[in-house]
Amino acid sequence: MRRYSLGYLISQTFKSLTRNSMMTFVSVAVLVSCLVVMGTFALLIGNIEVNLNKLGDLNQIVVFCKLGLEDEAVDEIGTQIRALSNVKKDDVKFVSNEQALLEEKEKYKKSSKVFENMEKDNPYPDSFVITYKDAEKVADLEYELSNIEGIETVKCRADLAQTIDSIKNGVIIAFTGFLAILFFVSIFVIINTIKLAVMARRQEIYIMRYVGATRSFITTPFILEGISIGVFSAGISFLIQWFGYSKLTDVVGSDYYMLDFLKFSDKVNVFGFFDTNITLIVLVSFLSVGIITGIIGSMISLRKYLKA
Amino acid sequence: MIEFKNVSKKYPNGTLALDDVSLTINDGEFVFIVGESGAGKSTMLKTLFREEKITSGSLIVDGFDLKKTRNRKIPYYRRKLGIVFQDFRLFHDKTVFENVAFAMRAVGESTKSINRRVPTILSIVNLQDKVKCFPRELSGGEQQRVALARALANNPSIIIADEPTGNIDPKLSLEIMNLLIKIHKHGKTVIVVTHEKNFVDYFQQRVITIKDGKVVDDKVGGMFDA
Ligand SMILES: Nc1ncnc2c1ncn2[C@@H]1O[C@H](COP(=O)(O)OP(=O)(O)OP(=O)(O)O)[C@@H](O)[C@H]1O
Ligand SMILES: [Mg+2]
Repeated sequence: MRRYSLGYLISQTFKSLTRNSMMTFVSVAVLVSCLVVMGTFALLIGNIEVNLNKLGDLNQIVVFCKLGLEDEAVDEIGTQIRALSNVKKDDVKFVSNEQALLEEKEKYKKSSKVFENMEKDNPYPDSFVITYKDAEKVADLEYELSNIEGIETVKCRADLAQTIDSIKNGVIIAFTGFLAILFFVSIFVIINTIKLAVMARRQEIYIMRYVGATRSFITTPFILEGISIGVFSAGISFLIQWFGYSKLTDVVGSDYYMLDFLKFSDKVNVFGFFDTNITLIVLVSFLSVGIITGIIGSMISLRKYLKA
Repeated sequence: MIEFKNVSKKYPNGTLALDDVSLTINDGEFVFIVGESGAGKSTMLKTLFREEKITSGSLIVDGFDLKKTRNRKIPYYRRKLGIVFQDFRLFHDKTVFENVAFAMRAVGESTKSINRRVPTILSIVNLQDKVKCFPRELSGGEQQRVALARALANNPSIIIADEPTGNIDPKLSLEIMNLLIKIHKHGKTVIVVTHEKNFVDYFQQRVITIKDGKVVDDKVGGMFDA
């Protein structure tokens, strides 16, 4: 493409976008919904992930000893636990009843009165936090642990992890389906928008072809039109996502203060390559998805004209 | 040079529009193509500007083997041709100047060379006074002259006209034919499909007669007897 036709191409694109303003509007609206759903989805998954991590290492089982055991008996339990094959020997952590009491006091500082009487008569048992090696054999391990003399209860954190994990999977499946449909609709609408633009300029295209205009000269304005739809949509989606998400986390965050929420300014690691903040990730993904959708849409409607 | 060798064209619906056509048109020749309606004249022109691909045989124009030329190269081939249709095909929302300039823009010419060349071409077709007019302000003959100017814009070596006077008042048709002769005298190859017996007989040029997709007559100084 020679430099001096650039102005021509851009003016053609904008003429076409405005001539076709209703369809352009519909295309942008559909693509915006698509992008916002995608963004919401990604942020939701991100937040689930963050809160899961906060729960700590999930390959853990806590066992509580019977109350009032002698120190030797507790040591013996520790030895037996370490001897089990599915237990990481070096990761067995003993939590004494005093420690447990301290931790609980720390957690509920405001209502410290409750704990006053507990100093003399500690209601907490000694416990061991065990990290296991193989998640598949957790049931066997639980059984072995419950058979050890002096162990009262066995609590597996995997239950919680599994619940959250299955919620996450449900969210992923539902959103992926929804997203696929929205993408399909977006591309369909863009195809039709561009097709209308092509129809409106049918005669022009015909004449361009027989005076010897190249394929790229003929199709570029339409591709640019698709790209502009993508860029507009990405911009609008970003603003909606940004305002919507900040408002939402403000409201929800104040009700559920034990949950952590990602912020747009948070830094995250991208595929292990580099760290960047969420704002940039959202913006770049919206732009690339928007532009790619626009290009795919216009390419499909131009297929016929890509021949000579 | 244009060389049809055993060219056949069968449309997808089975119509055999060209049937084993062989003929040569040299550079700078003027040729009338005549024949009944449905004989295959327009099809012949369409194979020339590669609107339609030939089914068999070979068609070589100025070194381009149209059966083998890649789609990507076709635009550059078409720049060697100037095409004029019966129905003018002008843009009604563009001025005379812009209609002609459009052909040059479409091949990436600079505004500077457009501004220099368009007035020159418009004066060749005697439309220098109508530069700023819109097509609806012109007669049919004048509109066809604009179309002719557009066909000339990129300085093609071959002019192809499919019934250029078909939509024009007979009195104004002669003007168009005279222009085509003038262009021929400037050294261009000119191929004109026409139904106008008077002109064919009057101008005494080479006449190729087509019937049912076959060349049935081809002689210089020929007469119209389709
Ligand atoms: N696109 C097409 N698809 C199928 N058949 C076609 C097509 N174009 C032309 N034909 C057929 O091919 C034959 C030749 O048509 P063509 O247009 O070349 O005739 P013509 O000599 O130009 O006639 P006219 O003087 O009426 O313009 C006709 O039978 C016509 O019906
Ligand atoms: Mg015809």
